[in-house]
Amino acid sequence: MSRFRRTLRQTFTIARRDFIATVFTPIFLLFLFAPLIMGSFGAIGGMGAASVSGGAQDKTRIIAIVPAATSRPIAEADTRLRGMFRDDEAPPGLTTVAPSADPAAQARAAFETKDIDASAVLYGPLNAPQILYGPRGARSADYLGMLAQTTLAAQKLGGTLPTIAATKTQITRSTTSVGGQHQSAFFAVFGIFFLTLFLSGQVVGTMAEERNNKVIEVLAAAVPLESVFFGKLIGMFGVAVLFVAFWGTVVTQITSLMPAAAAVALGDLTPAVGAPMFALLFAAYFSMAYLLLGSVFLGVGAQATTMREIQMLSLPITILQVAMFGLSSAAVSHPGSWIATAAELFPLSSPFAMAGRAANSPELWPHVAALAWQALWVTIFITVGARLFRRGVLQSGSARPFWRRKAKAV
Amino acid sequence: MNDEWAVTASGIVKRFGDRRVVDGVDIMVPRGSVYGVLGPNGAGKTTTLRMLLGIIEPDEGSRTLLGHDNPRDASDQVGYLPEERGLYPAMKAREAIAFLGALRGLDWKTGRERAVVLMEAAGLGHAVDEKIRKLSKGMAQLVQLLGSVVHQPDLLVLDEPFSGLDPVNQERLEALILNERDRGATILFSTHIMSHAERLCDRLAIIAGGKRRFEGTVADARGILPQRVHYTPHRPDPAIRGVLPMDAMQDGDSWRFELPNEGIESLLVRLIDAGYGISGLSIERPGLHEAFVRIVGQHGDVAKEDAA
Repeated sequence: MSRFRRTLRQTFTIARRDFIATVFTPIFLLFLFAPLIMGSFGAIGGMGAASVSGGAQDKTRIIAIVPAATSRPIAEADTRLRGMFRDDEAPPGLTTVAPSADPAAQARAAFETKDIDASAVLYGPLNAPQILYGPRGARSADYLGMLAQTTLAAQKLGGTLPTIAATKTQITRSTTSVGGQHQSAFFAVFGIFFLTLFLSGQVVGTMAEERNNKVIEVLAAAVPLESVFFGKLIGMFGVAVLFVAFWGTVVTQITSLMPAAAAVALGDLTPAVGAPMFALLFAAYFSMAYLLLGSVFLGVGAQATTMREIQMLSLPITILQVAMFGLSSAAVSHPGSWIATAAELFPLSSPFAMAGRAANSPELWPHVAALAWQALWVTIFITVGARLFRRGVLQSGSARPFWRRKAKAV
Repeated sequence: MNDEWAVTASGIVKRFGDRRVVDGVDIMVPRGSVYGVLGPNGAGKTTTLRMLLGIIEPDEGSRTLLGHDNPRDASDQVGYLPEERGLYPAMKAREAIAFLGALRGLDWKTGRERAVVLMEAAGLGHAVDEKIRKLSKGMAQLVQLLGSVVHQPDLLVLDEPFSGLDPVNQERLEALILNERDRGATILFSTHIMSHAERLCDRLAIIAGGKRRFEGTVADARGILPQRVHYTPHRPDPAIRGVLPMDAMQDGDSWRFELPNEGIESLLVRLIDAGYGISGLSIERPGLHEAFVRIVGQHGDVAKEDAA
């Protein structure tokens, strides 16, 4: 058997063991459903917050202090204008109040009322209304101004505004939009960051099992340490792929149930390389991001001697990932800039930035080069990690490099 | 490829910091033999074996394993039981053996099948599907040992294989080693328990203070010490000391002394002529234990100097 095939076989033997040892445990179910648990808590919290916020919003009002004759036209104008807003963007409900002897004082007093929260209050003639507004009532004040104008226009046209019958046709662009590309780029960078943040950090402690159980001696005797490291990385990557596949399926199913409007919003994601190629590159760059970060974490984690040290590593790991996300976000915001080039070249940020580039630029050859570049760095990180482990933990000198072995053989 | 030697090491050196833990050791293990690496605790046996297997690299010297300069190239033909035993606790015994075989190139299915056969032969048939964490330390050690032979290696390296085993399992292990030898495998093992080495080894090396102090057969090692005479006179008399060699030591009514260089005959004539007679006489070869103590003891001062 050739050395390469043997190495491959040994690598996958280690990977298989790690994959099975991780997946076929009750803890894995907890891990798999962690997003659900997290989402449930988020939803409960969100509902609680929405309930509190909704309760407060129900009591928030915009108030128009207008004569009784104006009360109905202004309410009709409000109904007409309110149709422009989505529910969560609609201004507070309108309350009309008949003016007292001192409308200015009446308007000020409205802000002190206990049973409602006045957001903005209008009084005076509609052609020159006075509008008072509270700390978060600037938009409400604008709306009351618009309301006064619309009511006045309707009055001048004999009580109602003319109705028109507009024909609305949705147009789909045949070319990618700049906004769609930027959205796709950010989606790619954030998506890969989100997934690697959750998944790649797990690799850091995997060598601890072998060290604690003293299995490492058996592995090191049978298999090159590089194969042990790479096998463990592949095994954990398999776990990550299983996780992504499961939740990818769930999300896809949920997306298919989404209303058409939401689907249209997603349709605006228009990567420059086209959707199928973008999906392919996203998968490739997620794999490379996982393998790159994982190989670094594995190498660093293998040096840790206790669980406490491994736990201590979680903060720098998170910081490193966030830093790569920040660098790549800056890169996709400024395509072609020096920061974009730096992010595309720096090995740890390269997958993120190149995924963003796939959204912004239609050229494909840079992706082939980038994937090769990233694969090279995975190899370098694994080799360095294994050598450090051999030197520091197994207390060996490094294996003679292949060129020296060859020289000796000659 | 060298067909004569399973393992060769020439002047291998390993330093940990400033200390030369292994200091120029030479070893030649003939194929098909049982070869023992003997030495006191801390002699450098484990480090030597780890270098031979390629787990760690020697700082100086060279070695071959089954004819390969790079031990990795022979890894599929080697079985290894390390001194610090280790298995995955959550694995079932059968899977653990198959996994160890798979690391050495055996397919999983064959590995599982052989694991059952081996475990039954070793009296562990009832524990085939037990998880390692449920097994006793001795049983887990046997499982690991079976894992080191499941792929039927050409070379089996065992580091202190007998430690931690009860006498019954020690006997089983001896039988297993001889079975492997009969199958054609070479067995290289380290120990500091002389009785096993004496019974099993075709050749052995004694290491002390990081240096090889002896290499040869068990008989060669025992031959380092002169044979000893155990003599009981017919008539006990303290004056007999004047006839016996200077090193004679009294042991009850008997006397013990080294076999004189010129042989025993002339001494016996003198004893009979002096009227002491012969009630009992035996000439004993010293055991490997005594030889080991002599060899290691002789070099104790050297080792201390080396360490200093």
